[in-house]
Amino acid sequence: MSDAEKAERLSQRRTRMLPVLTLLFLFQQATYFNRGAESGDRTVDHVHIAAWLVLSIVILVALANGGGWFYSREVRRLANDEATRAHRDSSFRAGFLASMAACVVLYSVSLFEPLGGRDAIHMVMTAGIAVTLLWFAFLERRASRDG
Amino acid sequence: MGELLANRLKERRAELGLTQAELAERVGVTRKTVNTVENRVFTPSTLLALKLAEALDVTVEHLFWIDE
Repeated sequence: MSDAEKAERLSQRRTRMLPVLTLLFLFQQATYFNRGAESGDRTVDHVHIAAWLVLSIVILVALANGGGWFYSREVRRLANDEATRAHRDSSFRAGFLASMAACVVLYSVSLFEPLGGRDAIHMVMTAGIAVTLLWFAFLERRASRDG
Repeated sequence: MGELLANRLKERRAELGLTQAELAERVGVTRKTVNTVENRVFTPSTLLALKLAEALDVTVEHLFWIDE
């Protein structure tokens, strides 16, 4: 299989995986908030939070450099071509705006109800990463559609 | 505002009997990028526009123009 074909397959797989990854990420956040924000000092809670942090960092790094770490440099270069980079830039912009919107909402809420710093950071990161993933998935899917 | 970069990429590609994948391989991008340029979803950089024109053996002005 040529590098171009490998890049095409990597790109298609990424397009299919992005919505699944977003759902997985959001499901993990839902379980965190369902457990109650205050019960965060047991070992199991630390493991849970660490798992969230690791997943968040992996997603952020993959979004920032394009992922496909097990492929050759040439395949990664092809799979992260001009249009993909433009989609990623646009997604990061949407994610940044979502994070700022979450900050505004949380700040407003904190005027009426006490809000823990850890929970606030959790929500801001969740909003930013989820919107970035979803917007990137949408753009990539639209680009793959035959016109 | 309201300006779009129109192109005759699809027509020229068809004249040469090339698929999107084959053209993509010639210019070093994925089929998806060629598809988005053809459909005016994505405006290519000058570099990519020149590469596309060269691969299709036409001038860049022949391949792209501003549609107001």
